Amino acid sequence: MTRNVAIVGGGQTNWGDRKATWKDLAQEGGKATFDAIPDVGPEDIEGLFVGAVQPERFANQTHVAPMVAELLGIDVDEMIARTELACASGQAALRYAWLAIAAGQLDVALVLGVEKMNLGREHMPEVQSSMANVLDREFDGVNGLAAPPFFAWYAQRHMHEYGTTREQLSLVAAKNKTNASKTEFAQFQSEIDPDEITDSPEIAPPLHLYDCSGITDGAAGVILMSEEKAREVTDTAAWITGSGQSSMAGNSINNLPSFDGWPQARKASQSAYDQAGIDDPLAEIDVAEIHDCFSISEIIEYEELGFAEEGKGGQFIEDGRSYIDGDVAVNPRGGLLGCGHPLGATGVSQALEITQQFQGTVTDDRQVDNPTTGLLHNLSGSGSVHSVMVLDRNQR
Amino acid sequence: MTDTTDSNSGKRERISVPEEIELPRLLDFYDLQTEDQTQIHEFYDNLQEGQLTTTQCCDCEEIHFPPRIVCPECTGDNLEYVELPHEGELFAFSEVRGGLPLGLSEHDVPYVVAAVDLGPIKLSARIDDASYGDLEIGDPVELKIVEIDGPADHKRFFYRFVPQR
Repeated sequence: MTRNVAIVGGGQTNWGDRKATWKDLAQEGGKATFDAIPDVGPEDIEGLFVGAVQPERFANQTHVAPMVAELLGIDVDEMIARTELACASGQAALRYAWLAIAAGQLDVALVLGVEKMNLGREHMPEVQSSMANVLDREFDGVNGLAAPPFFAWYAQRHMHEYGTTREQLSLVAAKNKTNASKTEFAQFQSEIDPDEITDSPEIAPPLHLYDCSGITDGAAGVILMSEEKAREVTDTAAWITGSGQSSMAGNSINNLPSFDGWPQARKASQSAYDQAGIDDPLAEIDVAEIHDCFSISEIIEYEELGFAEEGKGGQFIEDGRSYIDGDVAVNPRGGLLGCGHPLGATGVSQALEITQQFQGTVTDDRQVDNPTTGLLHNLSGSGSVHSVMVLDRNQR
Repeated sequence: MTDTTDSNSGKRERISVPEEIELPRLLDFYDLQTEDQTQIHEFYDNLQEGQLTTTQCCDCEEIHFPPRIVCPECTGDNLEYVELPHEGELFAFSEVRGGLPLGLSEHDVPYVVAAVDLGPIKLSARIDDASYGDLEIGDPVELKIVEIDGPADHKRFFYRFVPQR
């Protein structure tokens, strides 16, 4: 790769159970993005990448990237695509845009993640059936293996292998939900203490309702630019200094590792760290937006991303090291647990948070003290794929 | 604007969409199982005969699950069906107490879903006749085969497990 690439800013809709269609959300997210960067308009966009997981199932619509182009008045002359990588679709879109700009194919890209998931409470079974399709539907989804019981296995096995405690899971969920109380667009905005996590219904033991991210409508957008263009619109941007992905040859139960770790997260992060010149992630990364789809996920990620030793992820939160004023601020935005998880929009919103943390434009309550290096992580589907991006306030 | 009415505003024509439809094929979680529809029909044929089987590569001896038509280890397609043990151990499990997926109406909540270790392979499966509080990692379970009632025009079968008594 030859050219430096920056995320210069962006915007997002309010997230939650929205009285809005997929197309409404795409328009709101696009407007918020362009409004945030007055020097960039639809006429400047050369590449459009739309993260969207199941518009076919949730909104009965396909070919959604051209739909966004129409709704936002964007004529695309270089690259247009929708990305689908389950819960990492937003980061996959970021990665494509980064590569296209780095390779010199284009200079300005819009990455927009959009998901409409709430179809009304009476249609929740329809939503659940769509979510059970990310594993092998014929042999795993068919057993009613939706996300909550699947990630409950990880919690059970991590407790079994390493002695991780129920209280440690609650500390993660309470941290992120409380962080989200300071995030204006978040789906869940209440300060919550750890006892309230286990007071919530036990929906897939050992996981309770509040250990799970939400069913969320929302959109988020960011603008990526080549160095020359970025310098014209902002003094402070998030430079992409490393990006790694790792996928194992396994997506169904027999072909996954032992449900207490994610070797692919370790590989993907190592690849990104090598590119970014990071030797000691705990010392060098100031702010991390990582994929807490369930409380247990964040604990495993502390280990696989190199913040904690194997099996010590529970101790890491118990020692207070991942709070906003800790050794590494993990999910100051509130994570998926607090903000909700509109699948295709999540990775984009995480990238926007890191960018705004560098720019100092988030609310004071969740501003990390002078961050210069940030991390973005998403897992997808069965956890067989992990995507990691390193962002820096200074270009390499 | 010159005209403020549409052509039939006096009497709206009614069109209709169905309020209910039968479970569409693409929302049916169970695959069609016959030779006409899938190249792994032998897996389902064997299940009907009471045997849980999977494919093994005749060239590199890799055992697969789910069954394949191409070996992911060596890309060979000379595969044979071999029997799997009908007894195994619970490797991990949880109990679904809400959030029942559409099209799985036979899965009355709560239900237990587990990773079962059969030795050569692990698979996910429903554990019938058990609740979460009764079970522990390592508990022995044994095969149970169920016949599926549903929209297909042929008999369909699937595997589950139950605790060993």
